[in-house]
Amino acid sequence: MPHRHYMTALRLDESEIQTRRSYFELGDDDLARLRTLHGLAEKHTDEFIERFYEHLLRSASTRKFFPDDATIVRVKRAQRQYFLQLFEGRCDREYVQQRVAVGVAHEHVGLAPTWYLGAYRKYLALLQVRLFDDLPAAEAQAAFLSVQKIVFFDMTLALDTYIAAHQETLARHQAALRELSTPVIRVHDGVLLLPLVGAIDSARAQQVMDTVLLRVAEEKAKCIIVDIAGVPVVDTKVADSLVKTTASVRLLGAHTILTGISAQVARTIVHLGVDVSTMHTRARLQEGIELALDLVGKRIAPVRAKRSSGE
Amino acid sequence: MTIHGVIPILRMGDILLTTVHIELHDAVAEGFQADVLTAIEQRRARGLIVDISGLDVVDSYVARILAETGRMALLMGTQTVLVGMRPEVAATLVRMGYRMEGVYAALDLDEGLALLRRLGRR
Repeated sequence: MPHRHYMTALRLDESEIQTRRSYFELGDDDLARLRTLHGLAEKHTDEFIERFYEHLLRSASTRKFFPDDATIVRVKRAQRQYFLQLFEGRCDREYVQQRVAVGVAHEHVGLAPTWYLGAYRKYLALLQVRLFDDLPAAEAQAAFLSVQKIVFFDMTLALDTYIAAHQETLARHQAALRELSTPVIRVHDGVLLLPLVGAIDSARAQQVMDTVLLRVAEEKAKCIIVDIAGVPVVDTKVADSLVKTTASVRLLGAHTILTGISAQVARTIVHLGVDVSTMHTRARLQEGIELALDLVGKRIAPVRAKRSSGE
Repeated sequence: MTIHGVIPILRMGDILLTTVHIELHDAVAEGFQADVLTAIEQRRARGLIVDISGLDVVDSYVARILAETGRMALLMGTQTVLVGMRPEVAATLVRMGYRMEGVYAALDLDEGLALLRRLGRR
């Protein structure tokens, strides 16, 4: 279950719940007060839910999350449950878990905190009017403060979960991207090719070095061509890491050929003060492949011209 | 400021030929270096010949620019040959401790072309 996972990820154990509760000043008296309001809440649930969804459906930003009537019926049912849970006067792990599930669901459908927090504002506004209509002022004031505490308590839980889930989504995408970012291709026996496209930061440079070394060892390659024509900016950091990769590959007994070196990149590497005489570099990939084949004792030769049929 | 296009770069097959006929001041030297590299990038050059027979004096700055350009060209797969260096220039460079690594040297243009041909065959 995803919300179980986030309970652990956010370290929402008993002591954390207690810490949060005391920060929100959500005491047992508040919970008791909420319990006394349960009957009142139940009486107004239907009207409350209707008005709340009227608000959500009025705005284009939130309306798109409710594409059809079936969805609206479903979320209204969930909302009804959520609303009544506020007045159960519980604040235990199970309750927290339910709130965490809300954050997971919001992240899943891509409902940004803007609309989510905005909806909570409406929630509180509707509740306030209702409480002050039905109860004597002093009682209503106390009740509203208790409601406010638990709503804010809920809000932070859902928000923390939303952020955690979002970060995990990003991390997953980054991992996928990392794998895609270093495609090592075998072009010939003992010859590998790594075409690099896009910006290289230090994390990716490290990934490139690791992948290159791993694949060279795996394939028992004699040489690897690293084409950097698709890298927009090669700064000193990137150049330095490429030089280090070259040196490491040499320790494996293989050659690195850098191709796609533009004038700008050539300038950067020379200004770095690298000893270029130990590096194989070529301006174009084609020349790099020719050099690689040369290093493994092969070459590309033209096919002998076919004799014309008349002879 | 960088001044481009002062020193013409000629193309002979897969060899670029350039003759440095004026003193390489800062702006001119930088422009020359950029022009040479751009030419290598745009055309498929195997070799670069820099004729410096017109230079009476090669100071440390010019020597560094020439050596740097040679190393940059080498990174792009192009061999650089300096030709026509005057004896007194050669002596000065060695005395100053310039070894011009990454750059070949030849007596004149003919020798330079022959050297590039030999390097290409290897």
